[in-house]
Amino acid sequence: MASAGGGSKDTLSLNLNPMLDIFSILITFLLMSFSTDPVSHDVDAGIELPQSNTIVAMDEVPTIIVTKTELRVNDNKVADIVAGDVPEKDRAQGAIYPVFEALQKLAEANKRVNKPKSDDPNAKGSTGALTMEMDKGHRFKLMKRIMLSAQQAEFVQFKLMVQKELN
Amino acid sequence: MSRKKKRRNIEYKDIDLNIMPFIDVFSMLNTFLLFTAVFLSVGILEVQVPFLSNTPPPDDPKDSRVFEVKVDVTKEQVEIQTAYTRPPNQEQKFPFPNNADGLKQMHQKLAEIRKQNADTDKATVFSDDEVSWESLSAVLDTVMLRIEGDPIFPPAKDAKNREKAEIDAKLYLYPKIVMGSVMLR
Repeated sequence: MASAGGGSKDTLSLNLNPMLDIFSILITFLLMSFSTDPVSHDVDAGIELPQSNTIVAMDEVPTIIVTKTELRVNDNKVADIVAGDVPEKDRAQGAIYPVFEALQKLAEANKRVNKPKSDDPNAKGSTGALTMEMDKGHRFKLMKRIMLSAQQAEFVQFKLMVQKELN
Repeated sequence: MSRKKKRRNIEYKDIDLNIMPFIDVFSMLNTFLLFTAVFLSVGILEVQVPFLSNTPPPDDPKDSRVFEVKVDVTKEQVEIQTAYTRPPNQEQKFPFPNNADGLKQMHQKLAEIRKQNADTDKATVFSDDEVSWESLSAVLDTVMLRIEGDPIFPPAKDAKNREKAEIDAKLYLYPKIVMGSVMLR
């Protein structure tokens, strides 16, 4: 009885050239789109950034992240977002109290780190700028609450993250 | 004398180039590049919020008459408001629809205003609560960034970091943006 497939000693050679072609094209594309930005940051899956023509690259990871459902400071959830706003219990004079608390601690730490080297014991360091990543669908009302909370914690400079338009 | 021609016998062999190491290197490179690839390029727009200070600016005498540029944003329209801080205020308002065409027209007007008042490099933006961040960022883009054809204005004389100010002058129409609506109730 003849066995199926047996007997033949021909060797099959796989044609690798098309695969090499694909690899070459893929590598060319990846090398061309290789990012040289100073900071590499993956935008949160629940966030869509607005488009902008800015050419200024992000230089530090975001401190405040505002997704569609929650508000995070330094990756710690501080408040929920319901219907595009924070719940009433977290609000105080138009600001968001948990955000203010978290940023106040951060401001103190930043001031210690940025303290100028001088003999004056009362010399204060700057709080620096806050980088904020926010979903494009949120209203200014929420942004204002966050900025107000930051302002009360002595942060006045903001770097608002946007998606650079590719020309 | 007969010369014997030596005939070379050249044997042609099928040489197989071993491309396996080549494929290995390509695979590793591909994996590395795919892991490190950033397909979304992220940028920033720098703004500041107003803050109260009891220290008067050193070179700002009390009787100075300063030109101010304000931009008021609502869902339907954007309005440029210009005025001097002291009488005669010469207040002027230029409304535009809040859409792509309206923003283009607004940018042209802002460039014109900046040309006439080159020393004023600050614009204050007031926004309605209901305006989305997407819409507001488009307005900030229009107010802040220079586009092709805009003149380059010299940096402010009182700039602390001269080098940065000179770079900013090439990038921005109004380098300083203050979010005027952010005030405690």
